[in-house]
Amino acid sequence: MTDREDIVFVIDDDASMREALNSLIRSVGLRAELFGSAKEFLRQSPPSVPSCLVVDIRLPGMSGLEFQRHLAEADVRTPVIFITAHGDVPMSVRAMKAGAVEFLTKPFRDQDLLDAIQLALESDRARLQREAQLAVLRHRFDSLTPREREVLPLVVSGRLNKEIAKKLGTSEITIKMHRASAMRKMQAESLVDLVKMAARLGLPGTES
Amino acid sequence: MLANEVMLSSYDQLQVALSVLIAVSASYAALDLAGRVTAARGLTRSAWLTGGAVSMGIGIWAMHYIGMLAFRLPVPVSYHWPTVLLSLLAGISCSAFALMLVSRQRMSFRYAVIGSLIMGSGIAALHYIGMAAMRLAAICQFDHLVVTLSVLLAIVFSLAALWLAFYFREEHKGMLWRKVGGAVITGGAISAMHYTGMAAASFLPSSSRPDLSHTVSISSLGTVGIGIVTLIVLGLAILTCAVDRRFDAQSLELALAEANIKLDQMSRIATVGEMAASIAHEINQPLAAVVTNGSASLRWLAMKPPNLEEARGAVTRAVQEANRAGEVITRIRALLTRASPEMRSVNANEIVRDVLSLTSNELLKGGVTVRTELAADAPPVLGDRIQLQQVILNLVRNAIDAMSTIGDRPRELLIRSAKDTNSVLIQIEDSGSGLDPEQAERIFEPFFTTKPQGLGMGLSISRSIIEAHGGRLWASPGLSHGAVFQFTLPKADGRR
Repeated sequence: MTDREDIVFVIDDDASMREALNSLIRSVGLRAELFGSAKEFLRQSPPSVPSCLVVDIRLPGMSGLEFQRHLAEADVRTPVIFITAHGDVPMSVRAMKAGAVEFLTKPFRDQDLLDAIQLALESDRARLQREAQLAVLRHRFDSLTPREREVLPLVVSGRLNKEIAKKLGTSEITIKMHRASAMRKMQAESLVDLVKMAARLGLPGTES
Repeated sequence: MLANEVMLSSYDQLQVALSVLIAVSASYAALDLAGRVTAARGLTRSAWLTGGAVSMGIGIWAMHYIGMLAFRLPVPVSYHWPTVLLSLLAGISCSAFALMLVSRQRMSFRYAVIGSLIMGSGIAALHYIGMAAMRLAAICQFDHLVVTLSVLLAIVFSLAALWLAFYFREEHKGMLWRKVGGAVITGGAISAMHYTGMAAASFLPSSSRPDLSHTVSISSLGTVGIGIVTLIVLGLAILTCAVDRRFDAQSLELALAEANIKLDQMSRIATVGEMAASIAHEINQPLAAVVTNGSASLRWLAMKPPNLEEARGAVTRAVQEANRAGEVITRIRALLTRASPEMRSVNANEIVRDVLSLTSNELLKGGVTVRTELAADAPPVLGDRIQLQQVILNLVRNAIDAMSTIGDRPRELLIRSAKDTNSVLIQIEDSGSGLDPEQAERIFEPFFTTKPQGLGMGLSISRSIIEAHGGRLWASPGLSHGAVFQFTLPKADGRR
């Protein structure tokens, strides 16, 4: 049902609970990696495959919310599912605000956890895809010449070739050439396409 | 006997002594009464004030008359009784005023001065009204300087007496001797005032016959009679004070003892309440693992083909975790029942009565009538009074709860005790909603409860306590309805 490369990271100080979660996660064909503490997990490099975290909020040495902050600082955007012995409302609200996918109170229904895991993996997969696409765009943008990089923002901001030529102190024909070359290198099929790409790259002149 | 020559007068020393004794007794009664009036509220206070003022007034009044009767003149003296009554009224009013003043919350110097002015004037009025009641064949002349001195003395002594009474109204132990000292000083002062007043008067012989209408003459025997009656009145006042104080102290002790027991129960309940939170967490942890392992195992089994190896692993872990939860409960029970029992020889009937008095309010509120059939010959048992109280309290409260929904029959609680060869049996029977035979054993399990707000620990702990005492606690359905909870406790002397 899911790609074999997906990973569920389990962080729980209770070894028996860790084992139980491991068994449950493997029973639906997912891969689990177990950690006894948040530090252990943070020592690793951020995962590059779709993944999610299942975390007991009462971790030794670090609270669940502190852990969320650490993740944000390390720029780890892996979705987090919290499980807790006693979920009080304020704590769960804070966790959700800090980007948790789900907040489950022990003992929870297995299906609830598995659903949350699926949801988290989907969103992480989508995120990785978005990030990969962005990386491609950035790579293409990097292949532009300095002059093409100068022309591109002016083109996507809707200026006419004549205006651009005047602004950059060159002929309209040269601008046309740069523009065609940039479109080709960016693999844009139309001006609209190019505008979208510029927006995703966060180029100036694209904010509405 | 020559005219214009002062009559020779003398004092009957015995009667003087009697008058001083009465003055001291009246002062003691006054100090005592001040405390009672202060301690009382509302109607009781008015009663104390009235009774106190009357007995104290009679005391002061009697002191004056006996003092006057002790005064011997060569002519017969009789008394105009309406004036005598008026002087008694002055004595009672001035006593009432004094008692009211010293039983106030606070006493300022101003109040004391104003009070002593009024009180001193009252005593002086009593004295001189009393003298005006004298009817004799003589002319009474007063030395104005000595009269003024006697009134001043009355005021100064009143001030001292008010302060003393205000100070002594606080009722502590070991106050007796100080109170006696205070009474001697005050009584002496009243006597001094009186005899100064008497010295102010001198009597000149007169040939005119006194007006003897509405008069009485008082014999020596009459004097003694007045003295004795007065002493009895004062004695009764002091005795009443003592009895009332004792009664007050007893009810205070009783209230204190009850409050202590309640406090003890409450602190235990509070501890249990605090523990409930940590119990929830301690139990939850293994429980979550049991559930997760169980679910995983079902999923392994549901596979085609089922993965028996994984399923077995998950179930094994589930069993381990369930045992862990069991250990947690055992630990908690040990903790709740341990609380250092003090094993002593105790009377089970007494404990039953303690608990019934403790729960009398709850029983009343629950509309429950209580019947006891306690075996008078039940031998003492060996146990911890507080723990056994807790067990009976728990069973009684359960009974009240079980009867709270009963409307078609009387809510009756019957507590019996009976002796057996080696033990004492206590039975607590209610007419409540009864007991499902299937539940009869389950109700003793921890966390099993039939009450919406129940923790499910009461009966479980009760059973642990009784078993720790070497007894047995069990439940069975009542004959027609309700339930019977009973337990045995081994006799104190019979070693088990």
